[in-house]
Amino acid sequence: MLDYPERVLPKDNLIPLLRKLAKDARLIAPVRKSCGDTLFTEIVDVDNAVFDLKNKPQTSLKPFLLPQQEILAKYRVQDGEYTFSPPDAARPTIYFGVRSCDLTAVLYMDLIFSKPSRDATYFDRRNNSLIITLGCNDPLDNCFCESTGSGPYLEFGFGLQCIDLGESYFVSAGRRKGVDVLEKWGYFFRPVTEDDEQRRYQLFLEARGRFTRNVQVDHACRILQENPVPESLLEKLSSRCYDCGGCAYVCPTCTCFSVDDMELSKTNGLRIRSWDACTSSGFTRMAGGHNPVDRRRQALSRRFLHKLKHDFALHSKPSCTGCGRCVDICFGGVDITTFIDLLTASESV
Amino acid sequence: MKASFLPRPAVIREIIQQNAYIRTFRLELIDKTRPFTFLPGQFVMLSVPHLGEAAISLSSSPTALPLFDLSIRRAGSLTEAVHTMATGDQVGIRGPFGRAFPVEHFAGRDLLVVAGGIGLAPLKGVIDYCLYHQELGDDPVSGMTLLYGSRTPRDIAFQETLSSWQARGVDCRLTVDRAGDEWQGAVGLVTELLDNCTVTENTTALICGPPIMIRFVIAKLVSRGCGDKNIITTLERHMKCGMGICGHCHLDGKLVCVDGPVFTLAQLKKMDVMELG
Repeated sequence: MLDYPERVLPKDNLIPLLRKLAKDARLIAPVRKSCGDTLFTEIVDVDNAVFDLKNKPQTSLKPFLLPQQEILAKYRVQDGEYTFSPPDAARPTIYFGVRSCDLTAVLYMDLIFSKPSRDATYFDRRNNSLIITLGCNDPLDNCFCESTGSGPYLEFGFGLQCIDLGESYFVSAGRRKGVDVLEKWGYFFRPVTEDDEQRRYQLFLEARGRFTRNVQVDHACRILQENPVPESLLEKLSSRCYDCGGCAYVCPTCTCFSVDDMELSKTNGLRIRSWDACTSSGFTRMAGGHNPVDRRRQALSRRFLHKLKHDFALHSKPSCTGCGRCVDICFGGVDITTFIDLLTASESV
Repeated sequence: MKASFLPRPAVIREIIQQNAYIRTFRLELIDKTRPFTFLPGQFVMLSVPHLGEAAISLSSSPTALPLFDLSIRRAGSLTEAVHTMATGDQVGIRGPFGRAFPVEHFAGRDLLVVAGGIGLAPLKGVIDYCLYHQELGDDPVSGMTLLYGSRTPRDIAFQETLSSWQARGVDCRLTVDRAGDEWQGAVGLVTELLDNCTVTENTTALICGPPIMIRFVIAKLVSRGCGDKNIITTLERHMKCGMGICGHCHLDGKLVCVDGPVFTLAQLKKMDVMELG
């Protein structure tokens, strides 16, 4: 196994480092917007960007690695011929300030898009990316990554992981591309001292103690391996679901998509992939109108079962990363934590 | 497997009108430098200019390659457009995808093929495949019986094929839901035809049709003593990729496009599917 190096980056050196990195790649980082929300945004001007490393970005990296709409193929219909060509190649991209939950979600997407078939469009983007995470010292509202085993700090999977020590960042490399940064821009960093390691460990323990939500994810997964979801629970949740798809869109691990053609002219067009939501009633409807899944509560439970039952059976862990975004967004209160809370409560009665 | 969203152009060589709303499109890929082969029961994603893709079962036997058939019922905007296409026009093909019927296990078996309407399309390839090998004396099946249900006599598709199969030794039995006096054959559900069929330990039943038909045929076969592993059906679901990524055909932990579309009853029983009621 590669011995992944660790370094310390004094905070004064962060912008100079990002300036260097942004020269050869597109830089994406959380930015505070004028409306008061925080979104991952392309940084065009490193020096004048308003980075927001405190609040939870409302979106994950999903809009970048699996864009809400993207071109899968271009087609031409001309002189009786119908031909397809691949989309443009992805640009090298560096993501900075990514939370542990969102990196875990990317690792899950890697699985989905590699088995049973390897999705070339996704991996073109993925292979052109370097992800620099920021461990969470202050878990935010509705965060429960500790219950899903995806935070607050990570052990692997990142290019680089930064932990805020106050005046500096403790930086660990987790992949070759991260090691390359530490080597190429070594003069921005200093070696790790015993004090740095102690401080990092202290912060980790404190962060774990700051979670306000305790969600029994593992317990729920185990219940679902053996038992059906109680009908009363499904009724309760479906009566509050408005079929808006918001949970699936903000979810960093909801990867279901649709594919449609966009006609640009009589002779050419684009084949577009766009996000879809298994909670919507049209998701399974076939030509002619027949729908093998016609009850909303079946559609609603499918999303929870996929994450907590089927993926748990396949990968021994759920595909919920505890980011809490569905909790933030659902105005009906039909988020995954409600489902887990009610399921585990019904089991213990 | 490397997933590709780039279809290969294919040209329509022949169009066979099967009934008022089903046509068979006989296709040939233009670029032959890359291999293309399949087994009965597999499907392709068919592209039609400006309308996107739809999953369509292959309705011919691979023994007829380089030509292959897609038998298409007019059901939505894409299939509507296919029906306006002419010989020489081009479509796009991705695939083949999915698990095929286990034809390698059919030697010596009594095949009982039960189909309703367009449901004969994915099963047609199996019968053609088995007949081809039977006539070569190569791993022949013991016998083949086809029970085929249609709504009315005018709805009966694949009529020329049925005559040819009958002549080549397939016991073809037809029924219609309703008919006028001119119809000499059976009237009633396809399950009623099953009453006059022999079902033994050597029977392998292949079923495709509307979900309600599949459900009642399975129930009847089970009551006649047919084993769960010898009852095989193929499911139809909405699909967008065909390669196990898009999620649309997710079925209680399985994906119809890669784990199916062909399933034995033994496999279906482990899932919550509407075809079992």
